[in-house]
Amino acid sequence: MARRKLLDLARPSRQHLLGYILLAPAVLLVGLIVVYPLLMSIDLSLQNVKLPRPGQHAPYTVANYSKLFSSQEFWMACWVTLKLVVTVTIGSLIVGVGSALLVNNRFRGRTLARLAIALPWAVPEIIAVVIFARIFDTSFGLLGWLFIKLGLTDRMIAWVSTPGPAFWAVTMTMIWKGFPFVSIMTLAGLQSIPSDYYAAARVDGANAIQRFRWITLPLLMPVLGVTLVLVVLWVFRDFSIIKTLTEGGPLKATQTLSIMTYDQAFGFFNFGYASAVGVVTLVICIVASLLMLGRGSKAMY
Amino acid sequence: MTKLFRRGCCATALATFMAATAIVPAFADTTLKFISWQVDDGGLGEWWKGAIAAFEESHPGVKIEFTKVERGAYSDTMTTLFAGGQPPQIVHLASFEYQTFAENGWLENLGPWLEKDGVDMTGWAGQDKCVWNGDTACVMLSYFGFIMAYNKRILEEAGLAVPTNWEEFLDVARKTTVDLNGDGLVDQYGTGHETKGGAGQYLTEMLSYLLDVGAYWTDKEGKITIDTPQMVEGLTRWKTVVKEGLTPIDMGAGEIRKLFSDGKIALRLDGPWLYGTMVQGAAADETVVAEPPFHPPLGGSSNVIAMPSEIPDEEKQLVWDFIKLVMSPEWQSKYATVGKNTPPSPKADVSGVEADVPHFDLLLKTMNEASAAGVDRIPTGLELQYNEFGKMVQEEVQRMLIEDLDPADVVKTMQQKAEAIQNG
Repeated sequence: MARRKLLDLARPSRQHLLGYILLAPAVLLVGLIVVYPLLMSIDLSLQNVKLPRPGQHAPYTVANYSKLFSSQEFWMACWVTLKLVVTVTIGSLIVGVGSALLVNNRFRGRTLARLAIALPWAVPEIIAVVIFARIFDTSFGLLGWLFIKLGLTDRMIAWVSTPGPAFWAVTMTMIWKGFPFVSIMTLAGLQSIPSDYYAAARVDGANAIQRFRWITLPLLMPVLGVTLVLVVLWVFRDFSIIKTLTEGGPLKATQTLSIMTYDQAFGFFNFGYASAVGVVTLVICIVASLLMLGRGSKAMY
Repeated sequence: MTKLFRRGCCATALATFMAATAIVPAFADTTLKFISWQVDDGGLGEWWKGAIAAFEESHPGVKIEFTKVERGAYSDTMTTLFAGGQPPQIVHLASFEYQTFAENGWLENLGPWLEKDGVDMTGWAGQDKCVWNGDTACVMLSYFGFIMAYNKRILEEAGLAVPTNWEEFLDVARKTTVDLNGDGLVDQYGTGHETKGGAGQYLTEMLSYLLDVGAYWTDKEGKITIDTPQMVEGLTRWKTVVKEGLTPIDMGAGEIRKLFSDGKIALRLDGPWLYGTMVQGAAADETVVAEPPFHPPLGGSSNVIAMPSEIPDEEKQLVWDFIKLVMSPEWQSKYATVGKNTPPSPKADVSGVEADVPHFDLLLKTMNEASAAGVDRIPTGLELQYNEFGKMVQEEVQRMLIEDLDPADVVKTMQQKAEAIQNG
C-alpha cells in the first residue's frame, strides 16, 4: 500500500517526480552529447598532447593556456571574431528588420516576397558559400566584373586573397545567410502587435517614423532580444562559411576562434592546445550570453 | 503451466531464429571500408574500382565499400575516424600526412607481412619514405615526376616555341596572358597555379621555381635552409608570376586543370594525373605534354596504402590480401594503362602503355630524374610538422605578395619561424 502511494505521481506532493522522469531522457541525451565531450575538452586542454589516444593520459598542466594567452594569433582571432560578430549582427538586424517591415505590408505578390526572403535560410550553408565563392572569384567573378562595368575599379578585386576584401566577402555572405532568420522572427513579432495601436497613433498625428520608434520597436524588443542572442551565437560558432570561402586567410584576416580551433586540432594535430582555444571560446560565449540575457537587459523582455 | 511452457518455447525459438539470422550474414558478408579522395578521378578512380572488383571476385562474401571524401576534408576525416576508434580497414593517405598516424601507433607495421609472404620491395620507388621509426608503416602507391603540358594552338598563334628554361617560360607566360575579347578582363592566362586551398598544395605549386634555382626548405639532415640566395631567387620568380597576373588566382587545382584543358591556359606544370583531365577537356586536341623547363623536375611521393593497427586479425588478413593485389605486377601494370600513372613497382610491365598514354616515357624520365635528384615535396626533418610549416610558408608568401615585401627579407622571417616550428 505504501509502495503504491510512493508511485502515485498524481499526488500534488509527487508531481515533481513526474517532471524529473519526463526530463530524464533529455538530460541524459544532453549529458551524453554535450556535457561529456565538454568535460573531455576541458580535460584535454589541461594536457600537453598532440593526438589523444583512449586510455592514455598525460600529466595535468596549464601550459596550453599560458601559450594561448601569450599568443598574438589568439588575440587576433578574438579581434576578428568580435569584428565579425558586430558587423554581421548589425547587418543582419538592419536587413532582417527592414525586409520584415516591407513584407508586413499588404501588396500584390506579398507571399512570393516572403518566400524569397526566407529562401537564403533554406539553402544549405555549403551550397550558399560555393555560390558566393563564384561571385567573389578573383579572376572570373561576377562581383569583380560588375564593379568594373560600373566604373568602380579598373581591375578585378582579389576578394579572398587580400585581407580587407576577404573580411567583407565573409561578412556579406554571412549577412545574406543570416538575415532571413531575423526577418522571419521579426515578422512573427510584427503580426502580434495589435493594429489598434497604429490606428490610435495615426489619430494622434504620428508619422511613420514616430510609429516605428514608439510602437513597433518597443513591442518588437522581446523578439529582437532573443533573435540578437541567437544571431550572435551563430556568428560566434559558424565555421563552414569562413572555412569554405577563405580558410581563415589571408594573413589570418578571417581567422575566428572556431577556425583557429579547427586548424590547431585537425591541421596541426595539437588537440590539447585546440581544446584550450575551444574552452576559452565557450567561456566567452557564456559571458556574452549572460550579458545579453542578464539583469541589465531585462527591460527588453 | 502448459501455456506458460509453450510461450517460453516460442520465445526461445524466436530469439534463436533472430540471433541466427543476425549472426550468419555477419560471417558470410564482411565489408571492408575504404575511403579515398580518388574515387572520381579519371584514370586512378577506374584503377581502384577495377582492383576492388578483382578482389571481391577472389574473396566471395567480402565487399569493399569505396567512399569518397574530398581532399580538403580528408586529413581531419581520417583523424576523427582513427581517434574515434573507427578507422577504415583499408587506409589511403597522402604521403605527407601518414607520418602523424604512424607516430601515434595507428598504423600496422607491414614489415612482418611483407616478410611472411616473401614480397621483395627492392627497387620499389619511394618505398623508403614509408619507413617511420624503423617500421614499414605503408606501401608507396605513387612516386611521380612533374611534366609540363602546353596548348600548342595558343603558342603557335603567338609565334612562340615551347619553353625550355625559366626565361623562355616567363616570356611565353607574359605573351600568352591576354584579354581576348577586349572587355578589359584577362580571359587567357600564360600559366596556371593553385593559390587557394591547402598549404601543402600551395608549396607544391611554388616548388618547381625553387628547385630550378637549387633552393629547398631543408637539407638531407633536416636542417632548415630557407635563408639562402637561391631561395630569394626562387621566391622572386613566384612573386613575378603571381604579381604580374600570369596565373588566375584564388582557384583550386581542379579549376586550374579544367581551365587548361578547355584552352584558357597556355602552360601548366603538373603531375601525371593532369592527363586524365586533359583528354576530357574542350581543348583536348590542342594540349600536348612536354618536358618541364625546370630542372630537376618536381617530383616525389604522392600517396600510400596502409592498414590500421587496431582491427581484428581476420580483417588484417583481408586488407593485406588487398594490398598484395594492388602491389602485384598485373595491377601495377594497370596503374600505368588504366591509372595513367607511373607505377612504383620495378616489376610492372609497362610495354605498350604508350598506346594509352603517349607521353609515358616522359613520365618515367621525369620520375627518374626527380628520384635521382632526391626530390620530394615533404622536407626531411619537418614530416610531423608539415601542415604547420606549410601554413607558415603560405602566409609569409602571401604577406610578400600583399605587402610587396622584398624576398630577401621574407626568407629571413621564414627561416626563423621554420626553426621555431621544428624545435616545437
